[in-house]
Amino acid sequence: MAASVRHLLKPWTPSLCLVRWSRYNPYYLDPDPSKDACVPESEISPEQKELQELKTVRPIKAALSSDTSSSFNDPLISKFINMMMQDGNKILARGIMTQTLESIKRKQVEKYHKSPAAKKEEIECNPYTIFHLGLENCKPIIGLASVQKGGKSYQVPVPLTDNRRRFLAMKWMITECRDNKHRRTHMYEKLSQELLAAFANEGNVVKRKHDLHKMAEANRAYAHYRWW
Amino acid sequence: MNLHKLSSRLCPTVTQKFRHLHIQSSGQQLESVAVETASAEPNPLSVFRTSEQDPAYHSERQSGQYYTFPPAHIQKLFPHGLPPRFQLQIKTFNEGCVMVRPPALELISYLKRADYSKPPLRYVLYGDTGTGKTLSLCHALHYCYTQGWLIVHIPDAHLWVKNCKELLPSSSRPSRFDQPIQASHWLKNFKITNEHFLSKIKTTQRYVWTKRESTEMGQPLGELVDQGVNRMKSSSDVVGAVLRELRLQAGGITEGEGAFKLAVAVDGVNALWGKTSLKKEDRTLCEPEELTLIHNLRKMMKNNWSGGAILTALSQTGSLFTPRSAYLPNELLGEEGFDHMEPFVPVSVSNYDEKEFESCYLYYLDRNWLQHPHSRSEEGKKELIFLSNKNPSILERLCAFL
Repeated sequence: MAASVRHLLKPWTPSLCLVRWSRYNPYYLDPDPSKDACVPESEISPEQKELQELKTVRPIKAALSSDTSSSFNDPLISKFINMMMQDGNKILARGIMTQTLESIKRKQVEKYHKSPAAKKEEIECNPYTIFHLGLENCKPIIGLASVQKGGKSYQVPVPLTDNRRRFLAMKWMITECRDNKHRRTHMYEKLSQELLAAFANEGNVVKRKHDLHKMAEANRAYAHYRWW
Repeated sequence: MNLHKLSSRLCPTVTQKFRHLHIQSSGQQLESVAVETASAEPNPLSVFRTSEQDPAYHSERQSGQYYTFPPAHIQKLFPHGLPPRFQLQIKTFNEGCVMVRPPALELISYLKRADYSKPPLRYVLYGDTGTGKTLSLCHALHYCYTQGWLIVHIPDAHLWVKNCKELLPSSSRPSRFDQPIQASHWLKNFKITNEHFLSKIKTTQRYVWTKRESTEMGQPLGELVDQGVNRMKSSSDVVGAVLRELRLQAGGITEGEGAFKLAVAVDGVNALWGKTSLKKEDRTLCEPEELTLIHNLRKMMKNNWSGGAILTALSQTGSLFTPRSAYLPNELLGEEGFDHMEPFVPVSVSNYDEKEFESCYLYYLDRNWLQHPHSRSEEGKKELIFLSNKNPSILERLCAFL
């Protein structure tokens, strides 16, 4: 079967012209640069063994230059950096991200050292957990889609895929920090304040998520207009 | 991790090695170090801290260990002297800790043994970017402060040759230029550091500032400094006058009430002989010689006075029109600067070695600074060593976001 599919590996041009999407033949597998990919023989189940066999045979896409094999590499942070990037200036975007993490950590560690011993346990100092949990708190559970019925378009509550939720959370975070804050503060400063607020379930981004939920709740009656 | 070294430091050994100080040229580390028997540290993580807070008693035993600046001293001695990232670190960790390293120990040992009736020795700290020249200078300066010296500290001479908003033609001399803001700012900080000396030292000459203002002979130095702080127009000349007074009186009285030793500390001393980025009115580049502050500082760097020491550090980071890879005194000072500064005692500052890196890593762990779970593992540590090449400033910037 593999032999029959193999001949389709000639340069694949999609039937629809896709501007931003990958030009790779869908037969290619995604790379996994992390070191955990190499697990000793005895510990893996038969399906995973089959998967590994497949990886040795099938072609794999080239890894991105922003992915590293070290455990410091975080896919969520990479995605956020890509979303923040403008005009392809990845160095600037990555610099802003590292400064954001640093400033979150500084605020929390300062609070940690100044607080009495009893309160020290409750203060979260890890900027990565704050980032992850803050973003989780910004993800909407249900979204709205515009459906046209009988000449009128209605906002219909609709479930969202994981990718869409993650995208919306990040997008709201970035636009909030770019537009609604004081002009003269640095981006990393604005981001760190917003992330810390989101971690504590406060702030404008979480408010926007709640507004979306309320709208979806209000438009509950139109839920039947959804046919997918 | 060198568990062997850690365990040998924990169990007190009978022999006390190397009691007297000796000069370490290449920063060789001693293998088994005797633990201070006075303070047995039960907590294994505080192997990197020393209880000896007085820089006068620092020796190779405390090499690689962190000691804390007393907060009162930081406020008085370093109102503007510490690098900005270190100031942030003090604010975050709620304490100012500096590692005791061989270059600083070398400098302090020279200061202890020097003869202060002779002209001052010039010490130049040199090394690659981010190896710790400024902080070693601050460590030595802390020693001078605890010994009761008078401190003249210029935190960064590069700030005086670039980005000057107001460049006034000098009031006293026709071909010179004044920098009132920088001069008055420096005088304010000088006042904070040397509060108790200002009333004891008297002027030896009458200084005339304008038609109506002058400072008479025999006035306390405090008045001169106030004159400079209040009247911005003549503040650069006041700086020159202050430096001149200190030069004349440092070696004057050896014993008794008015005796003091003068420590002149200049960071980024290569700015004095480099190029400036300031322009005169006719859009030509200004020479450093034409700036009053630089001119007076150059006079200070000459060893034609006695009763003190000149501690300097080179710096490529803020310097103008020098290549990024230059770090040797010859390259950074240029011919003119080298001839002016010669003879000097060079002190080389290099990256951390194994033990110092260990100590820094443990300090960051203790202060809850390394948060990423991978950075706390063995492999993460190896990655940190690889990425930073044990360079102190790069390591600090890396650990900031990890």
